[in-house]
Amino acid sequence: MLRRYCANSLLILRRLSHTQTEITVKPSIEPSQYQVIDTSDLPEDDYIDVKFEQKSVLEDCNEDISHIAPYLQPSFNFAAYVNKSETLQQLVKLGVDLHKLEKKVKVPPYILKLDFEKDIKNHVIFLSDLGVANEELGNFISKNPFIFQEDLDNLQVRVNYLKSKKFSDPMVTRIVSCNPFWLIFSTQRIDRRLGFFQKHFFLTGDEVRQLTVQQPRIITYNIRHIKLNDFAIREEMGFSAEETKSILLKKPYVFMKGRDHILKTFEFIHKNMNMPLERIAEFPEVLTCREFKIKQRYTFLEKLGRIQFNPRKPNYVSLLSLVSGSDAEFCDKVAKSSVQAYNTFLKTL
Amino acid sequence: MLAKDAPTIWNALKGIICVYKPADVSCNRVAKTVIHKICSELNEMDCRPPIDYVSIEGDPSGELTVITKPSLADDPLVVGPRYQPKDIRCTWSSYLGVNTSGVLLLGIQNGTKLAMRIRNNKLVRAYRIKGLLGLATDNYYKDGKVVEKSTFKFIKAFNIEKLLASMQAAHQRKMFDTCGVDLQSQAAYELAVKGPIRPSHSKIPLIYGIKCVHFEPPEFTIEVHCINEYEMYLKALMQEIGMKLHSTAHCTGIQCIRHSYFNLDHALLQKHWTLQNIITNLEECNDIIEEHKDLTIQENIALQYG
Repeated sequence: MLRRYCANSLLILRRLSHTQTEITVKPSIEPSQYQVIDTSDLPEDDYIDVKFEQKSVLEDCNEDISHIAPYLQPSFNFAAYVNKSETLQQLVKLGVDLHKLEKKVKVPPYILKLDFEKDIKNHVIFLSDLGVANEELGNFISKNPFIFQEDLDNLQVRVNYLKSKKFSDPMVTRIVSCNPFWLIFSTQRIDRRLGFFQKHFFLTGDEVRQLTVQQPRIITYNIRHIKLNDFAIREEMGFSAEETKSILLKKPYVFMKGRDHILKTFEFIHKNMNMPLERIAEFPEVLTCREFKIKQRYTFLEKLGRIQFNPRKPNYVSLLSLVSGSDAEFCDKVAKSSVQAYNTFLKTL
Repeated sequence: MLAKDAPTIWNALKGIICVYKPADVSCNRVAKTVIHKICSELNEMDCRPPIDYVSIEGDPSGELTVITKPSLADDPLVVGPRYQPKDIRCTWSSYLGVNTSGVLLLGIQNGTKLAMRIRNNKLVRAYRIKGLLGLATDNYYKDGKVVEKSTFKFIKAFNIEKLLASMQAAHQRKMFDTCGVDLQSQAAYELAVKGPIRPSHSKIPLIYGIKCVHFEPPEFTIEVHCINEYEMYLKALMQEIGMKLHSTAHCTGIQCIRHSYFNLDHALLQKHWTLQNIITNLEECNDIIEEHKDLTIQENIALQYG
């Protein structure tokens, strides 16, 4: 895989350096070649008359030839070019992780062709006008370098679309800065996706807006993955449509996590801990917890005899307190035991 | 407290660490997690600044100026973080299977050589294996398909102890037999005097001690001291015990509680895999290895490897 990528990038860079060489070599072609292709159709000013003095190498040279240097060699990374290239230097100043960009196959040739003043500057100004913080700009561009391909007018149309759907300015800022990919989705695609969520989960307009602001990445996430997790939650786990909706609104991340992970956690909570579905729907955060953590804490409580999930009785242990907080907090508040005892217990598993 | 300077820590980072491997995670994954953790914490400390970029500017016929500035080509944003996972070598000194939890020795950087020596030295490991009577599964472990059911009420603690004692004796006897000496002879005595007798080949498992530490039907736990064992062997051992007791059994958990001088007290839990703890653990393990030289270099020629 790595070798194939290296070969690919070498090829691309070679091609790049070839195009560079061709462009720069042209003026120094000898006039005799020009005369061969010169026809009467060509306008007068297109003719470049370069005359070279025939000098002996033994004569003193008074000309300034310090600008003559070998062309940049093909390279595997940006580091070879960054000291020479104004654009790359500006990107570094913005805080872009160039080493992350060079790992993606299509990105390095694309970035190298950009010009800061022409292609990048206006986009950066546009983003910071939208409210993306200066510290986040680097992260934004590292995640989505293809933002510079988009036309500024298009970006403005997409922002206007959000505003027409009654998203306020702070909401738009949050959406754009939390999801760098949002702006390269066309208005039609975003509209289709918002429509999908509204229809599929029976959401009202306000709820769609709340979901979008809470987890902007879910709207542009892989729809197949969302459908798969929806199937797992509705059919395999057996939650009703209303419960699925409340899970989506409370913890959208459940729909983005891997299906196998949430199923494993669910199986432990539902089968081993005998937790009814309604209680799990109340605290969807437990579904995003990793299985081993909840298993460790539950077996510890079981060993201490502190399992009591009924809120109407004393010593109630809430599901949320089981999965949240550090181990010290858990031992102190929930298990009423010491961290040392918990650590010793963990070493018997 | 640790020094703030990353290169100092980096140079100190060689030797053996002892971690607690959780069950259902492979050794490879454990090593990767530890390496990743070390790298990310080293990168947060004070790292080496970028080297200088020297450029000579100006007209060569007139005055020239030499300008020195930090080279962007050496900036962490351009070349990547200073410490990367592929820079750290890491290997284990005894492979634990996926379903096994417990003490795992990892060699880091130059410690990989130490880990190899410990591995070749074939040290005794102790396991605590949990089993369940009455059910047999197709892969001898709890996640397999149940293939047989049987009663187990007639099994008493003394039955199991008797069986384990005979198994232990049979294993010891087998070693003397394969050495070609009679158990009642002077030669066998002289062989036994030299210390625990070991197979020359590293693929032959051998049990030195086996006993039942917990018996509460249908659950039971046995403790095994052995060398050259592997996960499937231990699982099959539980199955065999079930069969010999005229019932069935399968394994529900394997835990390595001791690896020569390293025991559970030295092992670092997964939540404690931080740079600070790893360095402390490194020193602790180093002390143990210093104290017991025979862990790495075996003086006795009869006990040497290969």
